[in-house]
Amino acid sequence: MIELQHFLALGAVLFATGLYGVLARRNAILVLMSVELMLNAVNVNLIAFATFVGSDRFLGQVFAVFVICIAAAEAGLGLAIVLRANRNRGTINLDEFDLLKW
Amino acid sequence: MESAWLLALLPLAAFLLLVLGGRRLPGGGWYLAVGAIGAAFLLWWPVMGDLLARGPGAFSFSWLALPPLQATGFAFPGFELRFGLVVDPLAALMLGIVTLVALLVQIYSLGYMRGDRRFGWYFAAHSLFAAAMLALVLADNYLLLYFAWELVGLCSYLLIGFWYERRSAAEAAKKAFITTRVGDVGLLIGILLLWRATGTFEISAIGHAAESGTLDPGLLTLGALLVFAGAIGKSAQFPLHVWLPDAMEGPTPVSALIHAATMVAAGVYLVARSFTLFVHAPGALAVVTAVGLFTALLAGTLALVNNDIKRVLAYSTVSQLGFMMLALGSLGLTAAMFHLYTHAFAKALLFLAAGSVIHGLGTQDIWRMGGLLRRMPLTGVTFTIGALALAGFPLLSGFFSKDEILKVVAEHQNPAVLALTALGALVSALYMGRVTWVVFFGRPRDHELHPHESPFVMTVPLLILATLTVVAGYVALDPVGQSLGLHGGFGEFLYHEHPEPFSLNGGLVVLSLALAAAGLGGTWLAYVQGGISPSSVAARFGVLYRWAAAKYYVDELYQAIIDRVVLVLAGGVAWFDRHVVNDAGVDGTGRATVWAGFVLKFQQTGKFYNYAIAMIVGIVVLSVLAGALKGP
Repeated sequence: MIELQHFLALGAVLFATGLYGVLARRNAILVLMSVELMLNAVNVNLIAFATFVGSDRFLGQVFAVFVICIAAAEAGLGLAIVLRANRNRGTINLDEFDLLKW
Repeated sequence: MESAWLLALLPLAAFLLLVLGGRRLPGGGWYLAVGAIGAAFLLWWPVMGDLLARGPGAFSFSWLALPPLQATGFAFPGFELRFGLVVDPLAALMLGIVTLVALLVQIYSLGYMRGDRRFGWYFAAHSLFAAAMLALVLADNYLLLYFAWELVGLCSYLLIGFWYERRSAAEAAKKAFITTRVGDVGLLIGILLLWRATGTFEISAIGHAAESGTLDPGLLTLGALLVFAGAIGKSAQFPLHVWLPDAMEGPTPVSALIHAATMVAAGVYLVARSFTLFVHAPGALAVVTAVGLFTALLAGTLALVNNDIKRVLAYSTVSQLGFMMLALGSLGLTAAMFHLYTHAFAKALLFLAAGSVIHGLGTQDIWRMGGLLRRMPLTGVTFTIGALALAGFPLLSGFFSKDEILKVVAEHQNPAVLALTALGALVSALYMGRVTWVVFFGRPRDHELHPHESPFVMTVPLLILATLTVVAGYVALDPVGQSLGLHGGFGEFLYHEHPEPFSLNGGLVVLSLALAAAGLGGTWLAYVQGGISPSSVAARFGVLYRWAAAKYYVDELYQAIIDRVVLVLAGGVAWFDRHVVNDAGVDGTGRATVWAGFVLKFQQTGKFYNYAIAMIVGIVVLSVLAGALKGP
């Protein structure tokens, strides 16, 4: 039988994987993908809680749809920035982008 | 009664017009100033007639009113400040003196100040001076009186320092302003004390409170003394007398105005206006007596040894003001105001005549003058009349008022005070005799000077003032007063509680005549006839003479106090301000900010993962904190 904690474990593993990707990757595209991973981990949690805990199961699903929507916008925006950055500097290695410092 | 405001407003309007547009008017617009003060003098007559017909009147309006407020834990009872004017015999007398003397002085100034670069400004400041003094006289409450009081001080500063290109004039103006300010602070504290105790600024209301005994006697004495401190400053009483002789740096007509009507009379007027307070505070009254008597003697001896014609007159004013204070201290409101009134004409006359001498000779040193009566007959005769009046020459105005003062002193003080007063009267006869005989009689001393009589515009005011000096005293007599429309003599017009009809006390008349004769005759022998050698008299008084010639070292004492105490304290405060407030406080804050910014800027690496880690660590820490604070 699949219980709530299984879903939560999956969400936590996904989130941690995404977090690791954000912190450890130098490639901007991979960082963006890791952010998507973290957002989807949250989606898993939302739907799991809605199904197992809440009285209204659609509430979590509506939230998940919102998050997917925002993730799409964020990915579009992020990829556009990465594209421009690549055009300007010829690289998407995040270590190279450190102009905003003292 | 309401039209009495116009008396003060007309010169004020003239001042504003002159300041705003004086440069564009031909002649600097002097006719505006003279016209305004002349109109004020003409307006004085209906005001006076009104007073005699209907009795004292008052008129006031709300100047500032705060409605009562009620809120939780806070109740404000409301506050109203009324400004008003009061026209009683005291105010009416002063109004007449101020407008008349100011008018004559301004007419005289047309000749004396002709061709001055700031001719228009002179008349503007003159107008403001008169307006301030008239407002001071009309004020029915201490707050308005204080405003006018400070305005008078400001105008004296402006006019004493009129020739500010001369360093000594600028210094004298500063000295006058700062010295009187010492007394003004006392006056302000006194007014506020009385206001706290009674809840009103109105002079009559505070007087009633003093009369009914609702005021604490200690507080009343303190308040009266502080009010008197203001009078000490303005009326140049000891120990704040030092500014008046230096004020001679101003144009001579200004000295006449300051000494006769506007500035120094304000102190005596203040005590007279607050007389109820003093009457019910015997301690304060004793101080007034002591200060007045001491000042009269001190300044008299100073006048006796000074060699500058204007300074002799200045010290003579100080000593005469001392007599007025002495009279006030002896409960002689009538005598004091009568003396103020006769002295105003005599002293304005003396100063204007001295100005005429200076105008003709270009020097103020009496030892370069001599025999001027023949060269400047009008000036000489009028000056002599003024001097004789102040010396107490019989049947001139000063004789009557000095006699009144001797009378109240004899009635209310012990014989020792009377003896000292008589000594003061002798000294005033001596110094007036000395300066008159030396300047106008005998032989010319300096043949390089070519004196000439002054123009009519200057001599006509002299003649008018000389006439007034001769006749003013007779107002004390009942028939004269009645023919002028008063109920009787001067004493039945202006008095505190009970009319004081004029009467001569035979013994005192003989005494005062003897004193005047001794003073005038002795100096005649010494300086004209040559029977007594002044230097041998000076030698006999040795130490006293040297001290008096050095002005009793009062100026030196003040200089030492300023150097050793005030400047040292000020240096300490300045050090604190520079090093603690400025360097550590203001600059320190700036420097600390710059340093903190320098240190903290290295946090900004610009690397993406630094920010990401900071963000994540921050979220984790905040979550843990939130959980810990919320508890299980």
